[in-house]
Amino acid sequence: MSNSIERPRYYCSLGGALSTLEALPDTIPILHAAVGCAGSIAWAQNGGSGLQVGGYCGGLAVPSSNVSERDVVFGGVDRLHEQIGTTLELMDGELYVVITGCVTEIIGDDIRSVTAEYRAQGVDIVAANTGGFKGNSYLGYDIVLSELVKQYVAYDLPKAPKTVNILGIVPYMDAFWRGNLIGARRLLEKIGVTVNTFFTNEDTLDNLKNSSSAALNVVLSDVYGVDAARTYEEVHGVPFIQATLPVGPTASAELLRAVASALNLDVDVEAVIDEENRQYFRYLEPLADVYNDADLQKYAVVIADVNYAVAVTRFLIDDLGWLPVLTQFTDVLDEETQEIITAKLRTDDPIPAPKVVFDTNATEAIRYINELYPKQESDKYAETLTPAFVIGSSLDRSLATKIGAGHLSVTYPISNRAVLSRGYTGFAGGLSLVEDLLSAAVAAR
Amino acid sequence: MAKKIKQIAIYGKGGIGKSTTTSNISAALSKLGYKVMQFGCDPKSDSTNTLRGGEYIPTVLDTLREKSSVKANDLIFQGFNGIYCVEAGGPAPGVGCAGRGIITAVELLKQQKIFEKLDIDIVIYDVLGDVVCGGFAVPIREGIAEHVFTVSSADFMAIYAANNLFKGIQKYSNSGGALLGGIIANSINQPYAKSIVDDFAQRTSTQIVQYVPRSVTVTQSELQGKTTIEAAPDSEQAAVYTALAKKIAEHEKSTTPAPLDVAELREWAKSWADQLLALETGAVTSVGQSI
Repeated sequence: MSNSIERPRYYCSLGGALSTLEALPDTIPILHAAVGCAGSIAWAQNGGSGLQVGGYCGGLAVPSSNVSERDVVFGGVDRLHEQIGTTLELMDGELYVVITGCVTEIIGDDIRSVTAEYRAQGVDIVAANTGGFKGNSYLGYDIVLSELVKQYVAYDLPKAPKTVNILGIVPYMDAFWRGNLIGARRLLEKIGVTVNTFFTNEDTLDNLKNSSSAALNVVLSDVYGVDAARTYEEVHGVPFIQATLPVGPTASAELLRAVASALNLDVDVEAVIDEENRQYFRYLEPLADVYNDADLQKYAVVIADVNYAVAVTRFLIDDLGWLPVLTQFTDVLDEETQEIITAKLRTDDPIPAPKVVFDTNATEAIRYINELYPKQESDKYAETLTPAFVIGSSLDRSLATKIGAGHLSVTYPISNRAVLSRGYTGFAGGLSLVEDLLSAAVAAR
Repeated sequence: MAKKIKQIAIYGKGGIGKSTTTSNISAALSKLGYKVMQFGCDPKSDSTNTLRGGEYIPTVLDTLREKSSVKANDLIFQGFNGIYCVEAGGPAPGVGCAGRGIITAVELLKQQKIFEKLDIDIVIYDVLGDVVCGGFAVPIREGIAEHVFTVSSADFMAIYAANNLFKGIQKYSNSGGALLGGIIANSINQPYAKSIVDDFAQRTSTQIVQYVPRSVTVTQSELQGKTTIEAAPDSEQAAVYTALAKKIAEHEKSTTPAPLDVAELREWAKSWADQLLALETGAVTSVGQSI
């Protein structure tokens, strides 16, 4: 049976590459794509990234070769050449990156010969083959970052022993990308590490240029950013570690320990963790009584991309004390990755582990829930999914309504929240997530 | 009611004599009194050369490259005996999409209803080698040609290309696409060559429309930039082409071929290789006896 795309939770690899570049300071993306690609991506972003879209040279103002039939037949390289020329003339940037769409990839336009010509004239320009059919927007992030690592990042720099790069938080696909990157940076700074996050307002393009001097890449994802980290390793000899997106005290403490160990830091990590925990729990103290009295503990259904599905489920189990019953991963993942991720959501007795499913179609969630809680003639003595809470995207609000649960959007697409600086990483990020979950739980009062 | 225009497409492996055969069919048809258009669908754009005294004509795509709006009349050039000649053309080798170019060129003429305006009786599309992508299958898709003929010699690669074409025809046959008229067996001089193409036709449920022998007359005519019909109208070879043209003009009913799958085709070729080897070494077999 064919599987229709119901409620897509990502866009194409060209889109992922474009939004990644839009997030990078002083960087001008140049699409070599058909008319309409940039617009479609802009609207998808607009509707799904917590009201964030575009910026300078982004959204509907992105330079694009807008190839048409004539360019398809004769090749679009001349059109691209012209587009780069006019973009250099009109747009104010430091780095230019050409990314391709399906049409120009299918006809095999040699974009690298064009960018090489401009590079020979001293322009900082990079080419990335991101044809939309290659995969989804998460892949686009990895493709374009890998090309930046190969074509833009400086070679043969002396190593900075306490500097790390953060990878794996995908701008716009994670609406909280800025807050999350800053959160990860603040967290690691507490153990004396210098952190490159590339995309925030605290970063410059030089951070990217010099990122090969880092002693370590920290990939805060089980999937995203791994290709880019491998490219760093192969091309610039930067090793990498992978960690769960550090949401809340448990994951944050684990990350601090992992980074300190990978860098052989002479720091009392446990003292740092103790102090962070002290502050975190001081905030929670006044909540504790009402949490119990007002019955704020919930059964949770988590439907999210791999970063949030793991991080949020773990946070609920390890830190908040909610009971995740179902965690649905909406990414396309191979079996090996599925096994690794499933292992991450195991629990020790007596804490129940959630049912883990890998299904890109989130409308199936209700079926999984019904399997867990079969319909009874009377609910009087049966175990039911109450009180429940759905943590997912805006698309999962209808599920929450159907099962009478609260709802919070944390994963793409998020169309019912405005997100600017908010983030969930670090100890402080955990507090923000508690606030948001409990605020949603009591919103009807 | 407008008269029905007969549209046929001729496919075959590159270098097999497709354009030579097509041009001679066009020339013979025009001598028989039909108004003919020959539409070259090959980026090499030399299909109509021998109808134009060896001269190349500007192609549809060359013209489109220079102008944003193109009139079909500017793309049509008359050749031998008033035959209308069109060349689709294509991008420079290695860039762009030649398949899309063919689609664009065919659509342009179709949109401007040029066949009706010129009161053409028969349009012949001369399409390059293999059906490598959707673009080169355009003439056999719905609403363009009705009948397809393939030029093939007894060489395995030519038959392989013909078999691929049959797959294309079979694919589009359920959606109103063109059907197969038959095989024009080219360069058939040796008896075993005839047996090979006959066997292939039989296995794929099609027919041989005409056996065309290899002839020095064709070469002589082409060196003068002419078709055999024009340069040597009374030759035996011209008679063969005229007979072929008549059959095509009268051809009404095409069928869906039954292409062999790759393994079958290889097995079939191997069995012929064994038989030819046996023939060479003098072994007497039933096939050897018959030829």
